[in-house]
Amino acid sequence: MKARGVAHRPGAGLRFFVYACLGFGTLLFGFPLLWMLSTSLSPVEQTLSYPPRLLPLAHYASVDGQRLEVTLDAEVRPGHWAVTERSAGSKSADKDRRRAIVPAASVQTQIRPRWENYPLALGALGGTSIDELEGFVAPSTRLGADSEVGFLTFFANTVIVCVLGVIGTVLSNALVAYGFARLKWRGRDAFFALTLATLMIPYPVLMVPLFGVFQGLGWIGTLLPLWVPAFFGSAFNIFLMRQFFRTLPVELSEAARLDGASELRTFWQVILPLSRPVLAVAALFHFLHAWNDFLGPLLYLTRKHTFTLGLALQSYQTTHGGVQWHFLMAASTVTILPVLLLFFFAQKTFIQGVATTGSKG
Amino acid sequence: MLTGLVACRGAEEDGKVHVVYWEKWSGAEAAAMQTTVDAFNASQDRIVVEFLSVSGIDRKTILATAGGDPPDVAGVWVQNLASWADLNALTPLDELMRLDGTTPSEFLSRYEPSYADATAYNGHVYALFATPASMALHWNKAAFRAAGLDPERPPATIAELYEYSRRLTRRDPVTGALTQVGFLPQDPGWWPWSFPRYFGGDLLGADGSITYAGVPQNLASMRWVQSYTELYGLDDMKRFASGFGGFGSPQFPFFAGRTTLVFQGVWLNNYLRQYAPNLEYGVAAWPAVNPGEAPFTIVEGDMLIIPRGAKHPREAWEFLKYVSSSNPDATTREELRGIELTCFLQEKNSPLRHWSPFFSEQHPHPFISVFRELARSPRAYHAPAMGVWQEYQREINIAFDQVRLLQSSPEQAMAYAQQRVAASWKEHRAATARQARAFAPAESGSP
Amino acid sequence: MKTRDFWDLGKGLAFTAPWIIGFSVFLAYPVLASLFYSFCDYSILQRPVFIGLGNYQKLIFDDVFWLSLTNTLYYALFSVPLGVVTSLSLALLLNLPIRGRAFFRAVFYLPSIGPVVASSMLWLWIFNGQFGVLNWVLRPVCEWFGTSPPAWLGDPAWAKPALILMSLWGVGNSMVIYLAGLQDVPKELYDSAAIDGANAWQRFWNITLPSISPVLYFNLLMGIIGALQVFTQVFVIAGGVGGNANPLEGSPSRSTLFYSIYLFSTAFYDLRMGYASALAWALFVIVAALTWLATKLAASRIHYSV
Repeated sequence: MKARGVAHRPGAGLRFFVYACLGFGTLLFGFPLLWMLSTSLSPVEQTLSYPPRLLPLAHYASVDGQRLEVTLDAEVRPGHWAVTERSAGSKSADKDRRRAIVPAASVQTQIRPRWENYPLALGALGGTSIDELEGFVAPSTRLGADSEVGFLTFFANTVIVCVLGVIGTVLSNALVAYGFARLKWRGRDAFFALTLATLMIPYPVLMVPLFGVFQGLGWIGTLLPLWVPAFFGSAFNIFLMRQFFRTLPVELSEAARLDGASELRTFWQVILPLSRPVLAVAALFHFLHAWNDFLGPLLYLTRKHTFTLGLALQSYQTTHGGVQWHFLMAASTVTILPVLLLFFFAQKTFIQGVATTGSKG
Repeated sequence: MLTGLVACRGAEEDGKVHVVYWEKWSGAEAAAMQTTVDAFNASQDRIVVEFLSVSGIDRKTILATAGGDPPDVAGVWVQNLASWADLNALTPLDELMRLDGTTPSEFLSRYEPSYADATAYNGHVYALFATPASMALHWNKAAFRAAGLDPERPPATIAELYEYSRRLTRRDPVTGALTQVGFLPQDPGWWPWSFPRYFGGDLLGADGSITYAGVPQNLASMRWVQSYTELYGLDDMKRFASGFGGFGSPQFPFFAGRTTLVFQGVWLNNYLRQYAPNLEYGVAAWPAVNPGEAPFTIVEGDMLIIPRGAKHPREAWEFLKYVSSSNPDATTREELRGIELTCFLQEKNSPLRHWSPFFSEQHPHPFISVFRELARSPRAYHAPAMGVWQEYQREINIAFDQVRLLQSSPEQAMAYAQQRVAASWKEHRAATARQARAFAPAESGSP
Repeated sequence: MKTRDFWDLGKGLAFTAPWIIGFSVFLAYPVLASLFYSFCDYSILQRPVFIGLGNYQKLIFDDVFWLSLTNTLYYALFSVPLGVVTSLSLALLLNLPIRGRAFFRAVFYLPSIGPVVASSMLWLWIFNGQFGVLNWVLRPVCEWFGTSPPAWLGDPAWAKPALILMSLWGVGNSMVIYLAGLQDVPKELYDSAAIDGANAWQRFWNITLPSISPVLYFNLLMGIIGALQVFTQVFVIAGGVGGNANPLEGSPSRSTLFYSIYLFSTAFYDLRMGYASALAWALFVIVAALTWLATKLAASRIHYSV
């Protein structure tokens, strides 16, 4: 951390105030994520309880002389709870579950995270209905390409789109930026200015004709529209890399040229290895963008076996009309997790990357 | 790996034609349709239908059709038909009927007239039924008892509906928050367009003009909607409703005992058994608005269409024919075929005029005859077939929301919707005519 | 032209070839096609028919166009300045010499990188009028004032404020940009200000703010452009209220019908691609005008240090 911008060391009173503010901020910013995690580990009846339960609990009581896991239905009279035997399923369906009224003191409560929500939620993400997963209806026999899709398919699709997109972004933009930064040719500056001007174009302007372009190419319903364009450069990344390439000394290229290296070789062997920081920034941002993209998949992916995680997550919400909050939060957690992991491994690149993109703009 | 992702689909290694069928259902309803699909696949050895549950089916289907990669069959709703037909997104089925040597009127004569009417638009047939539905009043008997009402006597008039709703309203003794209500117009809120018709009004004039704001009965229906907000209190109602779960969950208000009088379709029984098996309920016609009139209902349908650009329209048609056929003499579950099989498993009524002995006598829905009778009523209506119906419905939904949330008066909200739809309707007709003019000569050459 | 120039031009074009293709196919053609479609009646399933200014005429008299624009501007008007204040405040706090800066920075930054679909689902749950955790916290406070907390996304008056609140959760990105800007402010400036006896507020107003004005301007501009195109969170949230809402209706009662949602629904649900193209171009003009305005206003106030 550079020292020069840091202000004077504050006094104790001010320091307390600063920590109080930051602590409160941490609560506001961090709580939703913790809440998501907590909900994802709760049984269904606790997601809909009021007041909300902050920790996933399990209650045990004696019903007909047997120690059972129960749900607390209502406090029928002071100190007494109506309880129902808890079944594994999330539906209040079974008619023959045992019920009793027990003294509140005899109910044992402990914290129990329900990790089993995760496999169920991911199964439901694949379109197997909760009814099927929990044995309410027999699993249906489906045919065809979409029959075996599930979480892994969506995950794989997302990874394909991200990885190919990252490769395309790094390669194409570095090549193009090199052409703009380190070669002199007629019309270069005009074309670069035009390139920068396209940054202004809002995506909705492109949306309708792009759909037509991909339709003409027969790409609707495939992953192609989501990663192929990355191989053809993007104005922002070209700009970012060009700025970086220009800071590298001209002597490097001249030395390479004297050694008889071709332009492509200079680019590949001299410039690229020195440009790792900017390549990493572009790669990281493209990965994030592709992982989080929703509108693209919404427009171009019509077949379930091509769905990405985000799209699957959203259709989960509509398929299972009655929102199963614990499952939805479990699936959301899984969608966010790779991004969190990436952040913890590449924290420095993230922060520096954001800082450069912002201040160079 | 990539070739696998972009691979084309069609005739596959088993030498059969694979028909891709997208359907809106998941869960038990999907399992029922799957059974019919399996029966079709087993009934012949040339075509294999691949059944897929697709969420947001209408948006996905129209996008895929526009993108040139539609499914061969899609299960959509009655209200999609006219708009999509005007967009040239549907394959007219009458041509396929003629190829089979039958005429549309002959083919459609199998359906009850109210249902047959819903498949056609502009002189063409665009869809067949997967399952039909009609709507009736469902009431919660336990709540009736608790409120001191006769659980066997549902409200018969609209005044009684209001009175019962008042008596069925329960509040939390401490906070005063609503815990139970009678009838709530927004539950489920799927057919706000039906209320004007319920009151005897009309949405389209004889000359095809928009009459939403121009008919006194329509206005009366909106006043009626508003009266329920006034009964429960706006803020209380909003908070009460924000805790509702969606259809297909135990938190759906009728299942959870939060609403106790509801206009719902024939499918409700199926869901009730799953999500609220202990709920004791009854089914009757909607309460009469005017004494002595024929019972009102809306007829709906889960419709099968063949999108324009489908790769196997002929094979899709074979499937459609199977799904809408029946075995008129079935006396056992195994003998049920086509639409009776689907409707039996989904516990719905059949749209056919003739019901097989097994279907009518052994039907799992305890109130199925109520729905059959309702569909035969002269006041059984479906959504108007017009090219801007999606938009009309959207405007009605919004007007409905504004009125029930007391954001504007019924007159204002309806006049606003009327003006928007009328403009859009005029423009739509102009655009359709323009398309016809611009391309009629070029296309007249093709058969 | 000399051979040498030709050779250079060839090399330049060869290196930029991917972009020449990308630019033509994915930018230039779509922009021109969109402009053409905006003068047409076009539904992708039928060929475009030229109708002159018809779409633009319709646009002027389309209340829903104006409503979606108003909704979007309302959202931008609150979310952008509030976002600037929040992220700048956090950056100022984190710029102080305190312990655990890396931790706090991570906490504030993280929410901004998660998938919007997932975070929208999360907020949908938090905002739930009956079971949501937000109202659980607010209820005692509201009751003290003799009222009760709003139904948030279920209430037309509160749905947009809820979305604005949610947007503040994602200010981490601009916070990091401000932080970088703050750290580039020369320390000598503060030292001399301290000698002159300037208080904290004066130091902020006279040194910090001018020094980071380019960053501030950039963030403001990006914020406005982003806010005008907000889509995913609204699509997910409006589709999740009540379980059977159509996200394209902007429920409840069009209060969340934002520009991009209206455009999407016109283009890909009603297949009125011509009218949608006109909507897109109107947005283009609005974005360009706002950018121009912001640049004009900022020109005299931005302090570019060399």
